[in-house]
Amino acid sequence: MRAVYALVIVIGVAAILWDHVTSPSIGRAVSPEDFAGACAPCGAPCPSKK
Amino acid sequence: MTTATTTIEPTATRADWPFVAAAVLATALLIALVLIDGQPASAALLVLGFGLGVAFLKAEFSFTASWRRFIVRGEAGGMMAILLLIALTAVAVVPVAATSPHYGGAIAPLGISLVVGSFVFGIGMQLANGCGSGTLYTVGGGSGRMLFALAFFIAGSVLGSMSLGTFLRFGGIDPVLASDHLGPWGGLAATLASIGVAALIVRAVARSRGASIVPRRSFLVGAVIIAALMVGTFFAGGHPWSVTFGYTVWGAKIAQAFGLDLSQYDFWQWPGPQHALTDSVLGDTSSLTDFGMIFGAMAAAAYTKPFAHGPWPPARSILAACIGGLLMGWGARLGFGCNIGAFVGGVASGSLHGWVWFVCALAGCAAGIRLRPWFGLSRE
Repeated sequence: MRAVYALVIVIGVAAILWDHVTSPSIGRAVSPEDFAGACAPCGAPCPSKK
Repeated sequence: MTTATTTIEPTATRADWPFVAAAVLATALLIALVLIDGQPASAALLVLGFGLGVAFLKAEFSFTASWRRFIVRGEAGGMMAILLLIALTAVAVVPVAATSPHYGGAIAPLGISLVVGSFVFGIGMQLANGCGSGTLYTVGGGSGRMLFALAFFIAGSVLGSMSLGTFLRFGGIDPVLASDHLGPWGGLAATLASIGVAALIVRAVARSRGASIVPRRSFLVGAVIIAALMVGTFFAGGHPWSVTFGYTVWGAKIAQAFGLDLSQYDFWQWPGPQHALTDSVLGDTSSLTDFGMIFGAMAAAAYTKPFAHGPWPPARSILAACIGGLLMGWGARLGFGCNIGAFVGGVASGSLHGWVWFVCALAGCAAGIRLRPWFGLSRE
């Protein structure tokens, strides 16, 4: 199990690094609720807005 | 003459230094990356997540086991500690979210999606033996079984993101937020009163079954520390702590890397998810605390004993973890979060959806407990 964990850590951290350097970033960390029209933590719109 | 001698063994911790070092270095690396981008708030979220991982692991703060003990035996100690955690968090979240434009509560609409999602999440909780936060800290703590649960949680949440739009078309009611109707302090009073009523109901159920209502000391201390860290997360991220949106983003990025086009689904057309899918994963508040929590739990676990040294569990138990993870992932997307984002965050924000989520998820847990023996898991 230790070997699997070691592998998961290496692959996981490498994936985070790869994603970070290949993705654009607006800077400040945000959550979907920060965007206009969001009515839930995932950014779903309000039923009344449909 | 012989003399009896007593050898006193030094109380040494059997630290597993390679894994302690890996957890600390990985966290330090992520902190360095966000600081290079000039984002101290992101660094704070990583540190707070690390602290949450340590706190959850050391206190063994388990929503899943607490709910199961309450349903099966009527024991209410864990539930009481959870309600204390929510009340302490609400004291900061409700008035600040209601008065400052820079902060917001965890709100969500009421409807079929919330009811179905939270019920299914409850079933998954008991099969996987961990919820959103529980999965994070047990994965970090070295549970091979929960590695499967996490992988399927991630997959399930992507499937949930594909289903959410369909369920929302059934309609619903806009979020009901106490502070919108009663102002910041009236909203806080109503929120604390609702938590008090819940505590009275929980106590009455425990009393009627002759069970304890007193939390373990470690659970009580854990609740206070976790509440402080949740308040810190709220101030650093602008919203109450959430866990499962990060899983959805990770899964979607992986799916996209394998050529799956998600843009046709409503969920991925909304501005927030769309942005999260294209932006760095370190630009998502949920992912930052998730990473910190995994590494925090790993450091804490590896510091006290050899890390991940146990044998793999039986195949049936792993199957339960996979099914449970899948159900939790799907349910979390439809139910607008997990125990943390929907229940703790929702109730601590004064949002009615938090209580609806709790009641439905508790019913789902009762169903899930009945299914546990099928997978060789104890109902207790």
